Amino acid sequence: MIIMRLNPLTIKKIKRFKSIRRGFYSFLLLVLMILSSFFAEMLVNSRALIVFYNGNYYFPVYESMNPGVKFGLDYDYETNYRQLQKRFKEEAKGNWVILPPVPYNPYENDLREDRFPPFPPSFAEKHYLGTDNVGRDILARLVYGFRIAIIFSLLLLLFDYGIGISLGSAMGYFGGKFDLFFQRIIEIWSNVPFLYVIIIISSIVVPSFFTLILIMAFFGWIGMTWTIRTVTYKEKAREYVLAARALGASNSRIIFRHIIPNTISVIVTYAPFAVSGGIVALTSLDYLGFGLAPPTPSWGELLQQGWIHMDSWWIGSSVIGAMTITLVTVTFVGEAVREAFDPKMYSTYE
Amino acid sequence: MSEYLLEVNNLKMYFPVYGGIFRRQTGKVHAVDGLSLKIKKGETVGLVGESGCGKTTVGRAVLRLYNLSGGEVFFEGDNISGMTQGELRLLRRNMQMIFQDPFESLDARQTIGEIIEEPFIIHKIGTAKTRRDEIEKLLSRVGLSGSAVTRFPHEFSGGQRQRIGIARAIALKPKLVVCDEPVSALDVSIQSQILNLLLDLQSEMNLTYLFIAHDLSVVKHISDNIAVMYLGKIVEYTDADSVYKNPLHPYTQALISAIPVPDPSERKQKIVLHGDVPSPLSPPPGCRFHTRCPFAFGRCRSEEPELKPAPGTRDEEHLVACHLVNSGK
Repeated sequence: MIIMRLNPLTIKKIKRFKSIRRGFYSFLLLVLMILSSFFAEMLVNSRALIVFYNGNYYFPVYESMNPGVKFGLDYDYETNYRQLQKRFKEEAKGNWVILPPVPYNPYENDLREDRFPPFPPSFAEKHYLGTDNVGRDILARLVYGFRIAIIFSLLLLLFDYGIGISLGSAMGYFGGKFDLFFQRIIEIWSNVPFLYVIIIISSIVVPSFFTLILIMAFFGWIGMTWTIRTVTYKEKAREYVLAARALGASNSRIIFRHIIPNTISVIVTYAPFAVSGGIVALTSLDYLGFGLAPPTPSWGELLQQGWIHMDSWWIGSSVIGAMTITLVTVTFVGEAVREAFDPKMYSTYE
Repeated sequence: MSEYLLEVNNLKMYFPVYGGIFRRQTGKVHAVDGLSLKIKKGETVGLVGESGCGKTTVGRAVLRLYNLSGGEVFFEGDNISGMTQGELRLLRRNMQMIFQDPFESLDARQTIGEIIEEPFIIHKIGTAKTRRDEIEKLLSRVGLSGSAVTRFPHEFSGGQRQRIGIARAIALKPKLVVCDEPVSALDVSIQSQILNLLLDLQSEMNLTYLFIAHDLSVVKHISDNIAVMYLGKIVEYTDADSVYKNPLHPYTQALISAIPVPDPSERKQKIVLHGDVPSPLSPPPGCRFHTRCPFAFGRCRSEEPELKPAPGTRDEEHLVACHLVNSGK
C-alpha cells in the first residue's frame, strides 16, 4: 500500500539524475553493457545460434554438446560450427547455420598452420580485435572478462555493504565500548597490507571466484563501516530517533526503519565508485597473476599480454580501451548520482 | 500515592564531560540537580526557565529516555526509575512526548500515515484496516485532512507538522504527555491554535500535561500550576495566577517583569539581571541564584535554600526556595 510509494524527494532526485545528461547516458550505456554481457552466449560464442539440418532446427547455444556425427560429420567431439557453416554452403542442400556475430568462445585457440599467434584484427576471420598470444579471440575474452569483473564487483559490493552497513550502524547506534572495540579492530585491520595477504594466500591455494571475493571483502568492509558509523552517529542524535524511542520502538526498529532509510543517499552515492574500485582491483590482481586462475577470461591477464607483446598493439589497446570506457562510464554515473543526491540541493530542513 | 499521576523525587541528571588526551571524565554537567515535582491526574504543570536551565532534560528524564543519575520517578505509583528500557517499552504507551521542533521530530522518509501508524505497530494494536481508520480519525481530530496520509512531512508547514506530532503522541491515548516547548518554533498566530488544540484534547481525553516552555505567557494560558526552574532546580512552585500576582522568588520576579505589557501608558520597573547564568559544570555553592540576585546576603552564598512553603501561604500551595522569603524578611 503506502510503503511502496516513492518518496517525492527520491522522485526529484531521479529527475535530477536524468537531467544530468552525461551521467544518465553513461548509466544507460553501462546497463546495456551489463545486460548484453549477461546474454553474451548469444553474441559471442563458438556454438551456432540456429542450425537447420535435414528439415530440423537445432539451437546449440542452449543445448548440451552436439557431436559432429549429428550433422553428418565424421567426428564424435563437439561440432565445429564455423566449418559446418562453410560445408553446408559448399553442399548447397538447403541446410544452413547462423553463427553469433563473434563466432569464437573465449577459451578456444584458433591456430593457423602457417604462422604463430597473436594474429592481428581481421574482419575476414571475424577476429574483430585480433587474437592473443595463444590464438584466443580478444573480443570474446573482453566480453566474458567484463561479465566476470562486473559480477565480481557487484558481489563484492554486496558483501562490503552487508558488513559495512550492519556493523557501521550498530557501532554508531550503540556507541560506547562496542564502538570503541571495533574502532580499534578497524585501525589494526586497515594496517594489514592487503596485497601481501592476497599474494601469500594465492601462493598457497589458487583462489577461486568466491574465495577471491571473500578475501577482498575481508578488507573491503572497512570503508563502508567507517562511513555508516559516522552518519549513524549524526542521525542518532536527531529528534525523530528520540521520538521513536519515546514511542517505545525497539533498537532494531529504529535502526532498520529510521536510521538506514535516512542514510540511503550516502549508501547509493558510494555504490558506483565501489563498483569501479572492484573492477580495478580484480584487474590489477589478475595482471599480477594473483587473481583468478587461468584460463579464466580476464582483463588483467590481457593487460599483461599487452605489456609483453608490445608489438602486437591490438592486445594492449583493446583492453585499455575497454577499461577506459567502462571506468569512465561508471565514474560519470557516480558523479551524476552524487550530484543528484547532494544534500545541499534537497535539504530536509528547507 | 494514587492522587498523583507523576511524582518526581530529588531527580538528578548529570552528563559526563570528557577531556584531555586520554578522554577521561573531567567533569559533569549538572543539568538537573535534585528536582522534585508532583503532577495530579488531569492537571497541567508548566515548567519555565531560561535556556540551558535543564527544562528539556527534566521532560526527557521523567519519560526515562535517559538513565537517571539519581532520584526517583513514580508513574501511577510505580517506581520507573530503575526499570530497563525493555520493561519501559510497555509503559511508553501511557506516556508520550510532543517535541519542540516539528521539522526534526518527524522522520522525513516516512509518510504521515506511516508516522502515525508507528505507535500502533510498535504496541501491536489493531489490524492494518482498523489502524487506517484510527489514523484517519486522529488526523481529522488534529485538524488535518485524510489525504495527508500518503504525503511526506516536508510537504507541510510547521504548524501542520506539529499537529502531526500531536496526533502521533495521542494515538495510543496516553495518560501523561510531556510537551517540550511545543509552540516555541511556531509563528505567534499558529501558537494559539496549537495551544487550544492541546487544551481541547486535554478535556476530551483527560490528559495530564507537563508543559515545558520558556515563554511565561504561553505557560500561563495552559497551566494549572507553574514551576520555575533555575539552573537545574525548581525555585518556585505555585498556581498559575500567583506566579503573576505574587511572585516571591527574586528570579521569578525578574522573569515576570520582563514580560512585555501591551499598554504603552503603563510604566513598570523592570528588574534587569546582570551577568550570565553560571556554568552548570560547576554550579555556585549556596543558592544558585546568588551570583545574580539583587538581594543576596551572606547565608545565600553558603547554604542552599530548600523548596518549602512560603510563610503566610497555605500548605504546599506556594513553594519557594529562597532564604530571604522563607526567613520572612
